[in-house]
This record gives sequence, C-alpha cells and structure tokens, in this order.
Amino acid sequence: MSSEPVERRVSYLGDRLRANRCLICGKEFFEIRDYCGTCGRKSFGKMVNTDLFYEKGKLELCTLINEPTNKFTKLGSYIYGTISFHDGKIRVPGRLTDGTGIGLEEVDFSSLEGREVVPRFRRRYSVEKSEVIPTISLTFTFADEYYPYQEYRIIKPKKEYDTPGIVGYGVYTSKFRIKEGSIERSVPFIDEDSVTAAVEAGKLALIHAGIDNSWIGKVYVGSESNPYAVKPIASKVAQVLKLGQENEDVQGVDAVDTEFACKAATSMFKDAVALVNYPKSNIKYAMVIGADNSQAAPRDCPGGELDLFVGYGAAAFIFGKQDVIAEIEGWYSCTSDTPDFWRRDGEPHPSHGGRFTGDPAYFKHVRMSAKKLMEQLSLQTGDIDYFVAHQPNVQFPVRIAKELGFKEEQYAPMLQVAKFGNTYSGASPVGLAAVLDIAKPDSRILVASYGSGAGSDAYSLMTTSQLLDKRPNQKLTVACQAQNRFLQYVDYTTYRRLKLGM
Amino acid sequence: MPIRPAIISVARTKFGEHYEKEPEKLIEEAWLKASIEANLERKDLEACYLSDYFLPITNKLGLEEGFLSELTELHVPMEVTRSFGSALSNACNAIQAGKYNVVLVGGIEKMTDRWDKIRDDLMLLEDPWSYYAGCTPEANHELMLRAYIKRHGLAGQDLETLNTALAQISVKNHLHGTKNDYAQYQRKITIEQVLKARKEAHRPLGLLDYAPISDGAAILILASEEAARKLTKKPVYVLGTSSATDYLTYPSREDMTHFLASEISMKNALKSAGKKVWDVQVVELYDQSTVMEMVSLEDLGFCKRGTAWRSISDSCQDYKGYYEIEGNRLFVNLSGGLKADGNPLGATGGAQVFEIVKQLRQEACERQVKPDKELKCGCVLELEGFGTKSYAHILGVE
Repeated sequence: MSSEPVERRVSYLGDRLRANRCLICGKEFFEIRDYCGTCGRKSFGKMVNTDLFYEKGKLELCTLINEPTNKFTKLGSYIYGTISFHDGKIRVPGRLTDGTGIGLEEVDFSSLEGREVVPRFRRRYSVEKSEVIPTISLTFTFADEYYPYQEYRIIKPKKEYDTPGIVGYGVYTSKFRIKEGSIERSVPFIDEDSVTAAVEAGKLALIHAGIDNSWIGKVYVGSESNPYAVKPIASKVAQVLKLGQENEDVQGVDAVDTEFACKAATSMFKDAVALVNYPKSNIKYAMVIGADNSQAAPRDCPGGELDLFVGYGAAAFIFGKQDVIAEIEGWYSCTSDTPDFWRRDGEPHPSHGGRFTGDPAYFKHVRMSAKKLMEQLSLQTGDIDYFVAHQPNVQFPVRIAKELGFKEEQYAPMLQVAKFGNTYSGASPVGLAAVLDIAKPDSRILVASYGSGAGSDAYSLMTTSQLLDKRPNQKLTVACQAQNRFLQYVDYTTYRRLKLGM
Repeated sequence: MPIRPAIISVARTKFGEHYEKEPEKLIEEAWLKASIEANLERKDLEACYLSDYFLPITNKLGLEEGFLSELTELHVPMEVTRSFGSALSNACNAIQAGKYNVVLVGGIEKMTDRWDKIRDDLMLLEDPWSYYAGCTPEANHELMLRAYIKRHGLAGQDLETLNTALAQISVKNHLHGTKNDYAQYQRKITIEQVLKARKEAHRPLGLLDYAPISDGAAILILASEEAARKLTKKPVYVLGTSSATDYLTYPSREDMTHFLASEISMKNALKSAGKKVWDVQVVELYDQSTVMEMVSLEDLGFCKRGTAWRSISDSCQDYKGYYEIEGNRLFVNLSGGLKADGNPLGATGGAQVFEIVKQLRQEACERQVKPDKELKCGCVLELEGFGTKSYAHILGVE
C-alpha cells in the first residue's frame, strides 16, 4: 500500500535535505519547523530555511548493514551511519551508496569515520511497480572519490550578449562500467535511474554556470526511459533543484518532459534560446536536460543487439543571454515518419529495424540537418572547429563525420560512446559537453543530433572567452568521468541487475 | 504519596512463538491466573489499561478496546497504550486520583504472526527518517556502541574487555532464564557462542546480543491501598513512577552514547518514591540488546558514565548472581531479561514487573534472591522505540 501524501512530504524534505536555523540562538534543525525548541514562541517568524543539498557532511559513526529490512534487500550490503553537517550542528541518518557490498565485511569501520561525504539524490527503496517511486538524499558518497564535493557559488553576471547561448552545463554518469572489448559503458547503480541522473546533471550545470537556481524559468527534460508513463521527470528536477522562485512548497517554473527518442533534449535547445530571447517572457534562463538509463532487451531476446551499446547518463545545459560561453548561431531541424526504432506503451524494451536504422534513418537525417545548416549559414567544413553527432555506436558518428568532410581532429573529441555507451537523449549532448570541456574561445561547433522516428537537429555554436572563465567551476568533467581511478567494473549479470533498478 | 497504588496480583504467559494461539487466548490465559490469585471476577474491574505496541498492524485486529470488551463482556472505561509501563503509569494516576479502586493492567503482543514484515514495521515506528536512510532495528544499537566506545576512548585491552562484558551480559541473562519456566529461552549459552554469532554476522553485535521476537501476554491487578488491604496479604506498592521522552530521530539527539529519557525518568521516579538509587536491590532492565543493559546501568545511576562495562566484566569473572558495583550488590534481569525471557513489546514490561513483584513477595522459587539486606525495593525500566520514551517504576513492599 502506498500513501502518496506521505510520499510527497517525505520526498519534499528528504530530496533536498531541507533544514532551518533559529536566528536567535543559531540552533539548526533537519526538517522544517516554525519555531526553535530552545527559544520557543519568540523564535516564531525567526527561523530561516536552509538545506544541505550542496553541503559537505562528515561520517561520524557507521556500521555494516548486511541484513537490510525488506524494502532495502536489493541493495545487498551497505554502510549505514550518522552524518553531521555544520560542525555537528545538524546530524542526520545516512546510507552510503555506490558500493556493491563486496569486501565490506573486511572493512574497519573506524577508519571510515571522520571522512567527508556528499549527499546524493537517489531512489529510497523498492516499491511495487504501480507505486510512486520514493526518493531521498539521505544517501551519500565519499567526497574524495568519484563524485567530488563542489561548492555552489552564485556569480553576479558580468556581460549581456545579443545572441543567447549556453551559460553552463553538466554531465553526470555513474561510477560503474561494463567493459566488453574496446567499449566501456556506464551502468547505473541500483538506486539510480533517468530521474536521478537528470537531477545530478542539472545540479552540476548550476554549479558550472554559477547562476541562482531561482533564475531558471523553464526546464525541459528529454528522455525515453522515464520510469513513469505519466508523471514528468522535470517536476522532480524543478522541485529538487528549486528552480524558479519558490512560493510555499511550489516552484515558480515551467517544467516539461519531451520525447523524440534520442533527440528529445537537443530539439529543445532552440526553444530554450527563443524563450530567453523573447522580450516579454521574463525568463532569464532555461535548462534543457537529456537523461537516459538507456533501455535494451537482454542479449538473447529480440532487440537484444542494443544491449551491446546502451549506457547511462545525463547532460544538462543552461541557456541564457548573460555570461554566455557558447552562442547559438543558428539551427536546422528535419523530420520524417521513419519507424526505425520504437517502444510500444507498456513494453519494457525498445525494438528496432536492424539495417533500416542506418542509411534511411540515421544517415539520411543527420546528413540533411548538417548540410542544410551549413548552407544556411554559408559554412564550409573548414569554418568548423568541432563536429558533434549522435552516437548510437562507434561506427555511425565516424562515418557521417567523414562523409560530411570532417577530419579526425574535428570529430574525435566528441566520440564518447566507447566510454559511456549510447546515453540515448544524453548522447549528442554528452558529446557537445566533451567538446566544450576542451574548446578554445571563438571556436565553432556543429552539433547534429538524431532521434529515431525520425529527425535530426543541427546547431551551430560559437564559443566565447567566458568559456575559459567558467571552466574551473566544474571538477566533474566528461574526461574526469571517463578516466577515473574510482571507476568500478561489473560483469554482465551485475550490469543487468543494476540497470533494472530497485 | 496520599494514595499508594498496590499490585495485588500478577500473571503472565510463557513468552515465545505461539503460532497456535490467537491473541485473545494469550490474554485470557494471563487474566485467568491473575484473577484466581486475587480472587476477583471480571465484574470487579472498574477500568482496563491495555498495552500493545502494534497489535492492530500485526494481527489485523481492529480497536483493541472493542475486542477486549467482547472478550470480557465488560463496558468499563478501557485505554490502550503502547507499552506496559505506560499502561501501569496511567492506571497509577487514576488510582491516585481516587477515581478507581480496582483496575486491570494488561499487555499483549503477537509478533510472530508477521515474521515477514516485522523488521520494517519496527524500524518505521522506531525512527522513520533512519528507516528511509536504510537503518535496521539492529543498526542503531551498533551505532550507540560505536558512539560509546568513541566517547570514552576505549581501545586495545579495554575495548576487548568491553566486547566480552557485553557477551557476558547475554550469558548471564540466559543463565537466569534457565530458572524461569515462562522464559522463551531456558538454555545456557557461552561467551564463545555470543562471539561466534558476531563473527558470523560480520558486525559488532550478533544474534545472541539481541532480544528475540516474541508472542506473549502479562496482566496485573492494581488497587488502591485501601482496597488492596482487603484483597491481598502481600501487596507490592508502586512507590514511584515516571516517564520521559526523547527525539524520534536518533541521530538528531544531542548525545548518542546513552538514553537521556532513561536518566530523567529514573531520577523523577526515585524522587517521587522518596528513594535513593542504592535503595534499589533488584532491577529489570530493558535489554533489547546487550548494549542497552550496559548503558542503562549508567543511565539509572548505578554506574558512573563509561564504567558499566568494567563493573559487568569484574562481576562476571566469577558470577555470583549479581553485579557488584562499588561495594553494592545489584541483581539485574533475574527473569532472564528481554534476551532470554523474550520481548513481546506490549507485554514485555508486564513480565518485568511480574519478576520484581515475585521477588519482593519472596515467591520467585528457584530465582529468589537473598540480598545482604532484607529485600524491600526493586525497579523496572522499560523503553519504547529506541529510547524515544522511557518508563521507570520503583516498587516496594513497605
């Protein structure tokens, strides 16, 4: 039995780790309360809301849980303990996540106590398939491992641009990988899904952009692996990241999910820039996220060929006109009704049209959007520094890049599929982020996404000098996630189990 | 104290796994024994105070008062609380207020009917935020042990002595349980078995450090001092009773090394009884885990902070049936404690009171203790949740 109002209250507080502080005595409380227990009535109206979402905590005490309660059994063994914030002013219970449980029994727990941890937004525990998925941020990872602690600093905008563009971005993939041949693919931990990835990417994008979360007026989340058929990912992102002005417990932001196979996110780039450019929209910034726990049938089932390539991850881009790092010069989109890849409602895994996904689908549409945009902007391949394409496998993006006349140095930086797998809606956005991570100012980037069904969006971006100013804001770059000494490799069975989730 | 509530009879069932018995059968069994002892009929009861922690959840029972009314054909006032300590405390208040002369205080729990989900239920009631973060009913005990070790800076030989002392608590309680026909476990265990269970669990505490999951019922009949004089020759008085509360979320508490609620409730209970801590000769502690027994010795004031493990260790080298603490003898958990006697939550406190009453009346048979001074005063500590609520009762024969 589920209880939705309870779920609403628990996730409202727990996803963001909402807390508050008494302005009179300075005492802090996890959960929100109207008055301080010590100061009583006089503190009424003098409690300020805070939260611990971007904070760093300390693991104070811990123990091993190897016989969890029923709803946690899919996690196997894990470390559980108490986490303190603000020099011990607030203490909360917490579960350490991203551990497969192997070897935990040999760990000396006193050696872990005192280490710094970061709150992570995850699924809370298992529920029935028909129920609301419970989430929480009372899950933590060590701050000196894969996912570093990063301060969220709001930077006052310095410069207004005529042409809107990207002002910040973030990419999130998990620390788990499956390696088969020369291809590595990211695998979600069992408490992760496309929703948690979308939130993480959005969080990292805010940190990178250095803008106030309340300035975001709209958020789009493109995904084809939303765990719900009805209920947006974007509402969770808006709530957890507190996008737009908060009024009582409601965010003053427009949030919507989009779906067009792997181009669900890139399709919205132009809408986001148009929105921030519309003089009467009052929206300074818009966020677009592509997030997928890419689905594939098991290898021995129909459609199982996809299982060799699917990854897990999300990329978030914030668009605006202030402190732009890459201006959007123009775009071209094309669409046809081409059934090369689909998933019927209620089906767990997508189906695809085999060789039909190639020439008449991917190549035809990517070729058209890229060529048309270059014509439109009178660009030659030589005017373009970097080419980014959708990457469902290793061969397709290379073949189209070569066909369009791009040289290896122009297309090599975008190739991320061999490191993370096909992250579906996040695939070309991750490629774009990888390029932005290394590009110099005044570089032109041509992006051509692809979404089965079928269509492609091509964009031309021109980087600015502020690209370099903001680069130090982000430690968790694409390269850092691709090559990281804390990566953990899993076998095929574990990969399928983790992907299936709690 | 103007009116002293007096316990005129006590009874209980065996604790354990009673799959074949419905909850009403258990409570009926206890009531029958208690009513025979007091020579009372149901119609003599003016009110009932019944405790169960979560019987409606575990047994899909509906309102307990209604089910008890049907069972007894009584239409008197009935109140339901979550612990026996709470029921007794409320009954004492009513008697002291002069409202009733004879009331029933009963406790019942049937946990084995919900084996599959019991740990989730327990954890969710005990501390929801910790549950959401993945805590188990055992983990909080282990964290308290970690906190205790760190606070008192225990390492090396001291730490080893503490860990052994905790095992000795379990061994001692099982030894006491062998003399208790009502106990869930009536067999001896060894330190090696306790240590082995920890090793098998790969955790600081193992199966033999924890109280079991149990079914059972306990009942006592409480009367005003005046009514008691007519009904029994051996009244046991509730000299003082007090309760205290603490935060639901264990990690949010100021001090995680002990239970503040226990400390407060004991202080107030002693004060209202006009007793000092060492007037207490026998005590039933709430040993849901061995850590709880150790910490409670300090919370109630028998041991100084950070020293209970040493007193336990010294007393158990050559165990004489009691803890020797700074020259005083303290008989602890003669029933076998929650560890051996069993822990059917709502009825547990009833069994604790049962033991102290039997001891004070010199009716404890094999378990009867003979302190150096005449046995006059005992104490019961019962907790709800993980120290969220504490009840301390001081019982005496004069």
